[in-house]
Amino acid sequence: MEDQNYILFEAYLANELPKEEVAEFENRLKTDAEFSQAFNTYKELSAFLQHEFENEETSAAFKTNLKKISSEHFSKNTVAEEMVKPKARKLNFYKYAIAACVVLLFGIFMFNQFSTPTYSDYNDYGAISLSVRGENDALLKKAETAFNNKNFAEAEAGFAKLLNSDSNNTELKLYRAISNIELNHFETADGLLEEIRSGNSAYKNKATWYLALSKLKQKETEACLEILQTLPEDADDFNRAQKLMDKLD
Amino acid sequence: MGEKKIHEDQKYIDGLLKNNSFIIQAIYDNFVPKVVNYIKQNSGDADKAQDVVQDTLITIYNQASQKKLKLTCPFDAYFFLLCKRKWLNELKKSSNKEVTINEEVLSKDDDAQELAFETSVFGEKQALFAEMFAQLGDACKDLLKATFKIKSMEEVAKSLGVTYAYARKKKSLCIGKLTELVQGSPKFNQLKN
Repeated sequence: MEDQNYILFEAYLANELPKEEVAEFENRLKTDAEFSQAFNTYKELSAFLQHEFENEETSAAFKTNLKKISSEHFSKNTVAEEMVKPKARKLNFYKYAIAACVVLLFGIFMFNQFSTPTYSDYNDYGAISLSVRGENDALLKKAETAFNNKNFAEAEAGFAKLLNSDSNNTELKLYRAISNIELNHFETADGLLEEIRSGNSAYKNKATWYLALSKLKQKETEACLEILQTLPEDADDFNRAQKLMDKLD
Repeated sequence: MGEKKIHEDQKYIDGLLKNNSFIIQAIYDNFVPKVVNYIKQNSGDADKAQDVVQDTLITIYNQASQKKLKLTCPFDAYFFLLCKRKWLNELKKSSNKEVTINEEVLSKDDDAQELAFETSVFGEKQALFAEMFAQLGDACKDLLKATFKIKSMEEVAKSLGVTYAYARKKKSLCIGKLTELVQGSPKFNQLKN
């Protein structure tokens, strides 16, 4: 292919060809197979390079995050597997005994590791479905979807906006608070939850429970325990709260 | 493809695109174990599986971001087919055979098959393009990087100390050179569909 053709491709893609030449160019694409194939490859390469260099940083961030999650996932599973089938062949009794002790100690160690409760053991709220209240439908739907997809930054923005026009909506406040716990914006989250707790809505107990979880995530065990103790017996999360208290003690 | 209904699992694609850790985690929890099992049963191990899964997710990410990938089938089937395909290709490569793409009979009415095929061709093209780009001379590489990063050709010309017209012409010729490298590679002819 001649250099002139590539210069032509570039001008065409940049919309810089004069009108008469565009028609001529497009006609040539239809009739000249070699020309048209070279053009398609040129166009694909342009798109590839554009994407490659324009999004270099976002792509790199994605890859780093992916690698992290991937190695966590795989190291977890290898440990589990090796514990299930220890590779012991010609070991005599004593070696077995020593191995058993090591496994036992390791087991106890792992058990203790895993039995320390963390916030992520409890943030298993299911998909939410918000009641429709009129003019803010689209925004509501957007916030709801963001929340359900665990895109909490977007959910938070949505809930904050909705609350501007509907400032007494306790349900929205609760979900906004949960989004903020997820985002580690504890001040906002705790403020909202305290507000719901001191009120008399149906979400009062939920707010108490999540306030406790927020403290758990902030590693404030004392505060977490204190709040859990205030949860009345008829609360939905009473049993879970009791179990959590046992583990924390 | 336009009239086909987008599957609700599009959320996984969107989640990857937004680098959403919860979604990525969910993919690993829900869909990866099946792939690992498959690879282990077919002369691979966990390490190989880890690489295949990672590469596949990067390919999906790239296609989503560059070509606005729309999922018209369950993510599970799509993802599994892609990983399987990638693994079979790896096996073929390591046994020194030519990698041919079209040997599987594709039932074209199957959305998952079709979409997985598209994505894997996309992924192989990307790899080929990157490989050929690496073969360009440094002058071309630098100019192209600058062109696509800075966007304004005037600024590119200024930063490289050349005239606008020259930078413009150079850009066309560098992509032209790349076009020739790509078209001249045997892999390219296998990928053409």
